Amino acid sequence: MVLKDVLSKEKKAAFMLGNEAIVRGALEADVKVVAFYPGAPTSEVLDTFSDALGNFDYQMEITTNEKVALEVCAGAAFAGVRSLTAMKSVGTNVASDTLFVLGYTGVKGGLVVVMADDPHAHSSQSEQDGRFFGPNAYIPMFEPSSPQEAKDMVKKAFEISEKHRVPVIIRTVTRVNHQSGIVQLGEINRSEFKKVKWKELNEEYTTLGAVARRKKLKMLERTAKLAEEFDQSEFNFTKQADSDVGVVTASVSYLHVLEALKMLKLQNKVNILKLGTTYPLPKNTIKRFIKNLKKVVVVEELSPYLEKELCAIAKDANPGLEVFGKNSGVFSEAWEYNPNIVARGIASSMGVEYAGHEAIVEEAAKFKEVIPDRYPTFCAGCPHRGTFVALNQALKIQVAKGQEHYFSNDIGCYSMWIYPPISRGDSSLCMGASVGVANGLSHVIEERVVAVVGDSTFYHATIPALINAVHNGNKFTMLILDNSVTAMTGQQFNPSTEFTAGGRQGKKISIENICKAIGVEFVEIVDSYDVKGNVEVFRKALDYDGLAVVVSRRECALYGDRNKRRRGEKIVPFYVDKDMCKRPYVCLRTFYCPAYELDEDQQPRISPELCDGCSVCARLCPIQSVKRTEVKT
Amino acid sequence: MSLNIFICGVGGQGLVLLTTVIGNACAKSGANVITGEMYGLSQRSGAVSVHLRIGEDAFSPLIPYGEADILLSLEAIETLRYIEYLKKDGIVLMNKRIMHPPIETSKIITEKESKYITLEDIVAKLRGWTQNIAVVDALKLARESGNVRTENTVFLGCLSALEAFPVDEKAIRESISEAVPKKTIEQNLKAFDLGKKSAHGSLCTLVPCRQLP
Repeated sequence: MVLKDVLSKEKKAAFMLGNEAIVRGALEADVKVVAFYPGAPTSEVLDTFSDALGNFDYQMEITTNEKVALEVCAGAAFAGVRSLTAMKSVGTNVASDTLFVLGYTGVKGGLVVVMADDPHAHSSQSEQDGRFFGPNAYIPMFEPSSPQEAKDMVKKAFEISEKHRVPVIIRTVTRVNHQSGIVQLGEINRSEFKKVKWKELNEEYTTLGAVARRKKLKMLERTAKLAEEFDQSEFNFTKQADSDVGVVTASVSYLHVLEALKMLKLQNKVNILKLGTTYPLPKNTIKRFIKNLKKVVVVEELSPYLEKELCAIAKDANPGLEVFGKNSGVFSEAWEYNPNIVARGIASSMGVEYAGHEAIVEEAAKFKEVIPDRYPTFCAGCPHRGTFVALNQALKIQVAKGQEHYFSNDIGCYSMWIYPPISRGDSSLCMGASVGVANGLSHVIEERVVAVVGDSTFYHATIPALINAVHNGNKFTMLILDNSVTAMTGQQFNPSTEFTAGGRQGKKISIENICKAIGVEFVEIVDSYDVKGNVEVFRKALDYDGLAVVVSRRECALYGDRNKRRRGEKIVPFYVDKDMCKRPYVCLRTFYCPAYELDEDQQPRISPELCDGCSVCARLCPIQSVKRTEVKT
Repeated sequence: MSLNIFICGVGGQGLVLLTTVIGNACAKSGANVITGEMYGLSQRSGAVSVHLRIGEDAFSPLIPYGEADILLSLEAIETLRYIEYLKKDGIVLMNKRIMHPPIETSKIITEKESKYITLEDIVAKLRGWTQNIAVVDALKLARESGNVRTENTVFLGCLSALEAFPVDEKAIRESISEAVPKKTIEQNLKAFDLGKKSAHGSLCTLVPCRQLP
């Protein structure tokens, strides 16, 4: 994709990422307010809206967390204005307090919530199945399989949302968000952004006690109507075949099914029901589909959500139906699927031949024995690497003095400390939990707890836990790694900078001032690159008899590079002076920078293409053999 | 029939941009295309992979095991990491460049008998899977183009030499110009030409290529 296609007035075919297609759909639907907290695999929705901001008159916020994002959208929708938010699976947990109530209060303007699950936990802490939010909150849910469907469903979701006065979830999976394909663009007809008069709308959105009980009944009525309407939806369709076997599927699994049937030479020999509205389910459509079948295979990733519903429907509609899926052991509830896994499942259910893929995977494993792992790691120039080196040295000194530690990690680039060669971390749960659990741990373990969060995580969900710590007098050490942006998801702005969506002016919120205002008495600010100086500060923070906060500050290297390029500054790499280097390997033993390797003389060598010129390795070298490349002027 | 290309490399090498350029060129020439992209957790230096499929009967965003016609790797080690996707006797189009992960270097300085994996080791292994292996010194060609960051475009040049690559060169060139930063268009087009030319010395001795004009 190029941004040009998202903005294009032309009705043409464009190559788009699923996330970009979502943005295009929302723009075609004349969305007026969008708000997001970034999270893989949805971050490109935020990024694309941010890049397009100068071209259309929508309001956009990069919010402090997903709950606030949903509330920003709800506020707009209460006043009849179309709004959209997108969040990763676990982000929905944060937003769910609000989401559940919106089921009761309803909305006036269309409100669309894109919720991206991550089967395989590619970039998440769990494989949670968010489809249960639909029935649990009585909120209708669409599931696209491709970028084209994602765009079409977003547009339809706005209509459904307004017609039934309810938010609509678009539930995606990583393989839809990060799938690109050909998308037929529709028209963009934007209306003028205008404020409305609240009093003239005559609306109310309260719910409590008796009001909630009354609204619950309305919610049930609404859901029944939606089920009827979804029975007519073009997003639920069948591919008929002259046989008594069928497949029921949704989301990206549908595309794997098509591929698997091709592999098994079963194309046009198996009936397919592809579901696009997965809450409320189109029960009559399912009934009609299974009525005359002998066997049905349910293909869905994660939990047997569709399978359980289908079994319940089959009890009346076709009691003799054989259902294959997770309960029959044909498919697993773990990990994402691919065409081979789906082919194997369908083949065993239908009793047809499948050569299998285990042999090729096993054979390939032997080919890979010789290659090293490539774990996710900190970029060259990443300030976290410097912070880690200093912290590690401080911890060693403390251990020698008899103080031991519990390392409480959090969600952000620094999560990667759990990977080799660093491999440090006693726990890491979810946004802000490092400080939350530090509270409990400080009561019950003898070791000193070290909790780590980044700037974005601090604003997102850490502040209540920190207030709790101060109020209750809990004693631990907290490191706040402030690299100016939400780095792991692609360097989005957050309150740590003076910028916000689209690079517009925002108000910077000082982390240290928040800590001091809360009542933290030990607050130190250090430069992440000053490794030697920081050891002493970290040590003091570990010795402090109370809650000690150290803010380690230096902008994300990639964000810094972007700024340098914009200012026309060159990135000047360092090199190892071969005549001086006596191979003490301090650089390699402690720093683990991806720009480093060994040359043919077993001397460290810095790859000039990868070096970010951060200087930290030069500061660590005990014999000053790492030098900045001279730039000819 | 669809053409399946499995692309892999290291974060920061421009795999996603490469995918975008090919995809946009397909859209321009009316070809169906679908991709499955995996960016990894880290922004740089982690493993990145893309399943790219061109053709009407490519349904899933993921290539089935053993069905990739081409395994294109921008970093030599990564070639072996995804070998299960390549057809037996499929084409390997790989970079000469090796980027040793920190964990590998760290092992060498702590374990005496440990050694870096070499390009020769990798190619020897690959020969057990296919004989159609073309190694490209993309970093050298990228430097020649005037921009070391154009390794991805060098490979695009190599691909476009293949008879089996169904996208016309004009669309690719247009697509490059639209997708890369304005200041680097010239360098990228040069990298593309250098890649195409280099293919005729290596890749094209193994598999059918288009004639050079």
